Amino acid sequence: MSRPFRPRPLDIHKKLPIVKSVKDLDIDEAAAVSRASLHCNAIAYSEIEPVAPPTTKRKAGEIPTPQFLIVDSYERDYLRTFVQPSSYVRGRGARSETSEFVEYDLDNEDDDWLQQFNREKTILPHESFEWLVYKLELLDYKARERVGAIPLFGMPVHVLLQQEAAFEVLRSQVSRPAVFSAVFDYWKAKRAKWQKPVLRRLQPPPPVNDTNPFNVFRPREKVHRPHTRRMQRRENDVLSFEKLRQVRCNLEQSRTLLGMLQKREEKKRELLDIEANLQRTRIMLKHDTELDDELVMEENMIASTPLPRKSSGFLNGHLPMHPPGEVTPPCNDLDQGEYAKCTWRRRRAPFQARSRPLKRVTNVDSMEPGFLFVKPLDPEKLASAGIVPPLDPPCSNGTDDAPVPSYRLHGRIGRGGRIIFDRWNPLTRTPIDCSSNLSDLPRKAITSTRSHPPPPRLCVEKKTSDAQIATGNDDSLNNLRIS
Amino acid sequence: MGSVDVFARSNGGLAMDRLSTGSHFHANGDEQRTNGSLDAASAVIAELAQDTTLKRHKLTALPLEVGARVLCRWRDDKYHPVRVIERRKLTGPDEYQYYVHYTEFNRRLDEWVKLDQLEMESLEQEGEEKADDKAGSLKMTRHQKRKIDETHVEEGHEDFDAASLREHEEFTKVKNISKIELGKYEIDTWYFSPFPPEYSNCDKLFFCEFCLNFLKRKEQLTRHMRKCTYKHPPGDEIYRSGSLSMFEVDGRKNKIYGQNLCYLAKLFLDHKTLYYDVDFFLFYILCECDDRGCHMVGYFSKEKHSEEGYNLACILTLPPYQRKGYGKFLISFSYELSKKEMKVGTPERPLSDLGLLSYRGYWTRVLLDIIKKHRGNLSIKELSDMTAIKTEDVISTLQSLELIQYRKGQHVICADPKLLERHLKAAGKGGLEVDPTKLIWTPFKEQ
Repeated sequence: MSRPFRPRPLDIHKKLPIVKSVKDLDIDEAAAVSRASLHCNAIAYSEIEPVAPPTTKRKAGEIPTPQFLIVDSYERDYLRTFVQPSSYVRGRGARSETSEFVEYDLDNEDDDWLQQFNREKTILPHESFEWLVYKLELLDYKARERVGAIPLFGMPVHVLLQQEAAFEVLRSQVSRPAVFSAVFDYWKAKRAKWQKPVLRRLQPPPPVNDTNPFNVFRPREKVHRPHTRRMQRRENDVLSFEKLRQVRCNLEQSRTLLGMLQKREEKKRELLDIEANLQRTRIMLKHDTELDDELVMEENMIASTPLPRKSSGFLNGHLPMHPPGEVTPPCNDLDQGEYAKCTWRRRRAPFQARSRPLKRVTNVDSMEPGFLFVKPLDPEKLASAGIVPPLDPPCSNGTDDAPVPSYRLHGRIGRGGRIIFDRWNPLTRTPIDCSSNLSDLPRKAITSTRSHPPPPRLCVEKKTSDAQIATGNDDSLNNLRIS
Repeated sequence: MGSVDVFARSNGGLAMDRLSTGSHFHANGDEQRTNGSLDAASAVIAELAQDTTLKRHKLTALPLEVGARVLCRWRDDKYHPVRVIERRKLTGPDEYQYYVHYTEFNRRLDEWVKLDQLEMESLEQEGEEKADDKAGSLKMTRHQKRKIDETHVEEGHEDFDAASLREHEEFTKVKNISKIELGKYEIDTWYFSPFPPEYSNCDKLFFCEFCLNFLKRKEQLTRHMRKCTYKHPPGDEIYRSGSLSMFEVDGRKNKIYGQNLCYLAKLFLDHKTLYYDVDFFLFYILCECDDRGCHMVGYFSKEKHSEEGYNLACILTLPPYQRKGYGKFLISFSYELSKKEMKVGTPERPLSDLGLLSYRGYWTRVLLDIIKKHRGNLSIKELSDMTAIKTEDVISTLQSLELIQYRKGQHVICADPKLLERHLKAAGKGGLEVDPTKLIWTPFKEQ
């Protein structure tokens, strides 16, 4: 008859059929289930109605008749002055913000004092007294705010307001200073007794952690509840500690890793900079190739020939390509052993030689590409060979200190072994007036560019047999011709 | 039935607080009393309490000890058993007043009585037993003790654990204010309310009926009325129907008003707590309006943001307006607000005796009306969505009425017309109806 079964929990989303008649129900079963399901929902249920029938019965007689009386004077005290507007009433701001409402109401103590103070006369009406106390409270509060003293609950809140200051502010409204002073003294005494502001609004609230049930209206600290369920479950136990430790460990590891990454990237950038410098330098040095070849040749010559290297007449136009300070000369770069591996340097042969171009640079003569191995003209030899320098400006080799003639010629050996007497420096646009010694000449007339048109020159060509003879006699000339 | 008295804790954690601080409170109990935190009478009692051990053996009947059980004449002129909770000395020698608790009734009827109201024949001294208890010798059997405990715990308090309940009763055991004047009415109060210490030794308080400021003397009230510009609660009117208006007051914007209202409400609500400030609450004040202004009838408060989905924290109909259906109006209104918010709601727990009764009645009426008219199947969720009543409340209501039945292995809702009529009749009248079209309101949003 009564099968044991468990009632299914009630599914709130399931559509339940509505049965219109009790007869439709299987009463026996239903009763049993209903009882059982009641137990099932016992928690929620017991909260609502613990033991329904007995309590309601007891309560029936107990619900009290509210006790109240009608106040006789009501009709007189409250006036029929309210007219309800046709629209819904919109709230005004709080009282403290609006107008001149005196929030303070005199209490018994104030009443008694005032009565004594007035003594049958009306020296000070209630309203003014109330107003004064109210103003004093506000002024004191402002004074406290200015000082920045935050009143604490339970701690005595002393009066910070000075009588003079208060009087200054309220002077326009106060008719008799004596009355004011009396009120001030009374108020101050009252404050000393109360140990807190008289106006309830200005009294400090009890602290949040206070548990005394007599203290009311604590501020409620903003509850920052974590939003996820996982965070809510975190507790202050060993497991959480362990987890946090793990997190810390991970974070530290990632920090190290990132630090290393950063270092790597810095190195990369350095390398890139160097590469870029290298390229730039290389581009600049591209124009050097001729020079370099010459240089190489020269080195070879030096190595192979006993001849002393002659720098005179060696012309170099490269230097202007390197504006000083902008690009470091290649030699400087190369000196840094760190970057020795670059192919550029390997290709460049003897490396000590790199410093030479600088020396040569100082000996620039722009007039003509020079030849490597030339001896200065020997005037004696010339003379013996019957070659006479042009007469007009007598060229005297070695006589530097003589007063500079306006026009002087000095000779050199040009291409093909010709003897050339220059009398015009195309760069300075001046007659050549320096020493007869060719090696000295460039020092004074340093050139800065190579873009000048070929210099006009006076060329005395003597393809004479004398010259041939001379060359025949001279090893150096011989060599020159060969080269 | 019309009176509503929902006691509510302001937050869920408070019960725990109470539990943990219970012993602490008892340890401090005497100290606080001597500090004058309670009224002056308590201080006297505290002194006298020290003499208790000396007088124990005298067994003199007078003055009565705290804890004495005796019969007392109530206002119905019948004698009812009472327990003496407190006593205070009056002017004459050996002249005492006793604060008694009618053991048959709710604490709200505790009052100060004079000796002539007591039937001395019926006296049973309990002081001795108590003293022995303290000494640690258990004379009572466990059964006896449980019986006493059971009778001691009153209805409406079941949701409190013993420790927090004792603390609560200790701290509220004697009313501090016995009467208030509010507008047209002079009302007897029901419970202790933690007014500021300056008000602790006055028997009657005068409330301004509009701004709810409270004063000690009638002249002060009269003076206040001359300057008080309020004629209605300081908030927005959100509902008006006939002479009834509902105002919404923001606790943050009108702090003093909110606090005054809480002080006032606590006089009529046992388990309301004023622990936290009113910033986080909105107050909905029901008023009856006439040419003198808008007179408060009752109110309910509501958290601005309730994490637990509460749509009502405290609810009160002032005694003169009780039993007129205003309480049900307030409950109904709270659900109308929830509907506007598109949320389901439930009152903050635990409910008091009267609160439970009102809510049960409201739920029954609303749900049964729907079930009566509904055709076809119906889920609990649908019922909840239609009414903004939380599903748990729907289930508990229907189950307590035994309307959820089991047939052929599945739940059904039993809607026998006769049965429904019987339940509806038992649930009482609906009280005043809320007309949702007259509610002009937008849900609260933090600026």
